[in-house]
Amino acid sequence: MAYLATFHWGWLLGALLLGFGMGWIAVVHRGPGISRSTARWLAVLAVVVVAAALARVVPGRPGYWLDLALILLAVYLVGCAAGSWLRDRVIARHGTAL
Amino acid sequence: MRGLFRWSSKWWPGTIPLAVLWAFACWNGTAPLESDLAARAAAALKDTVLDKAKIAAAGRDITFAADAFSEDGRRSAVASVEAVPGVRLVNDETRLVPEAKPFVWSAERDVVRVTLGGSAPLPAIKGRLLDAARNTLNGVEVADRMGLARGAPPRFDAAALLSIEQIGKLRDGKITITNNQLSLSGMARDLGGREAIAAALKNLPEGFSVAANEIRAPPYIFQAYKDPVASTLTLTGYVPDNNVHAALVASAGRKFFNEKVVDNLKTSVGAPVGFAAAVNPALGALSRLSTGTLVVTDREAKLSGDALYDAAANEIRADLARDMPRGWLAKPEISVKPAPSPVDATVCQQLFNDLLGRGRIRFEAGRAAINSDSAGLLDRLFETASRCPTVTVEIAGHTDADGDDHFNQALSEKRAQAVVDYLVKAGLPPERFKAVGYGSGQPLAGNDTDEGKAQNRRIEFLVR
Repeated sequence: MAYLATFHWGWLLGALLLGFGMGWIAVVHRGPGISRSTARWLAVLAVVVVAAALARVVPGRPGYWLDLALILLAVYLVGCAAGSWLRDRVIARHGTAL
Repeated sequence: MRGLFRWSSKWWPGTIPLAVLWAFACWNGTAPLESDLAARAAAALKDTVLDKAKIAAAGRDITFAADAFSEDGRRSAVASVEAVPGVRLVNDETRLVPEAKPFVWSAERDVVRVTLGGSAPLPAIKGRLLDAARNTLNGVEVADRMGLARGAPPRFDAAALLSIEQIGKLRDGKITITNNQLSLSGMARDLGGREAIAAALKNLPEGFSVAANEIRAPPYIFQAYKDPVASTLTLTGYVPDNNVHAALVASAGRKFFNEKVVDNLKTSVGAPVGFAAAVNPALGALSRLSTGTLVVTDREAKLSGDALYDAAANEIRADLARDMPRGWLAKPEISVKPAPSPVDATVCQQLFNDLLGRGRIRFEAGRAAINSDSAGLLDRLFETASRCPTVTVEIAGHTDADGDDHFNQALSEKRAQAVVDYLVKAGLPPERFKAVGYGSGQPLAGNDTDEGKAQNRRIEFLVR
């Protein structure tokens, strides 16, 4: 993991910034979100894929690509969370200032 | 926390550019990552002794194939590849180097090269053997046909290094180590080489023994070539020691009165028994030939060339066979040189003077018996005498002034007569020769030095 992080730090930084931006927007976004049932399916899918990666059942290059995708996704989600939380704080402070 | 859940339902649009990002990362990053991991794995194996190590990376999975020299070595090699950071899985295709039974190693020398074959226990030992071969045989091509195998006996490397040293002493041959037995065959490079190898084999490492030593010694060759054009006698080959060498060269100098002796002899052990006793008479026989070659190989003396006349040819054949020591074989291949054209009396006298100016007829001290060293000169005098068949020749004997005058007078007469007898026995008519003795009455030089006396003791041929 540490090896992948050092080898792909550029791409991971990209994913983090992308997530941060997405998170920043998501707080004030008025469009439809994904439904609860879709979210449940996605969560199951995520568990299966993570389990596959941890069990190392996918061989060779696809296995590596899967690992990379999961790491990018994780970093992206961290970025999203950070972005949304910060945006929320900014809005809250602004609101109290009003 | 509830906020996060709410917001997270709207994070999904970013996954589309994320997927694009991922695709780019895969596209650009896979090959560099694979080569980086392969290089790290190879570096991790740097100090491990393996044969045919092959590392291939697919993604983060390493396929590792190699031949290891022990089970422990194999396991630790796989473990060190697994420990490389970033490696996800190791496809272990390692195996142990096959065990050779029996463990055979060989070094073979032929005309152009030395070939090392069979099995070596480790790459380092293989390299050491090759280096040793190149150093020992500097200049000779060394071909490596060695494979790697387990199962070498302890101290194999020392035994193989010793064998390589011995291969340097061979002209051609093969040394094979089978388990802990050595077998040797071939021919030594120099005389004495066989003995040197046998001595070196006493230092074999513990546990090794010689199963068969069939190294042959090179033939002991002595050659003499009489070249009438260059007027040289060339001696080549071996003599047993310096004493024999000096005696042989001195004897050649006496026998070949007309030729310069070119001495290219080398001293070496390994001479056949009776070497000097065989070579000396054979050289005497060669001195009677007009042109010829003497080859002494082990216990065989082969003499080929042209005698000056028929009787001489027969005599040379008979003498050579008679004079060889026991166990020796004489092989004379003597032909007869065509008779030279006749000349008149004046030229005949000149030819006699010329011959006797270069060599003297020698006798046993104080006696009238002709020394066998003078046979070559007498043959030439005979040849000259037969070129002027009509003339009568006075053969005059002279002595030095030592001793009693009467004795000297009688001795000079007897010696002159001995020469006449030789020529008559060889086939010339007796009425053509007249033996005369002058005692010490006609000295050529002073009788006060050994040199002067030697000049005075002489036979002269005078055409009448």
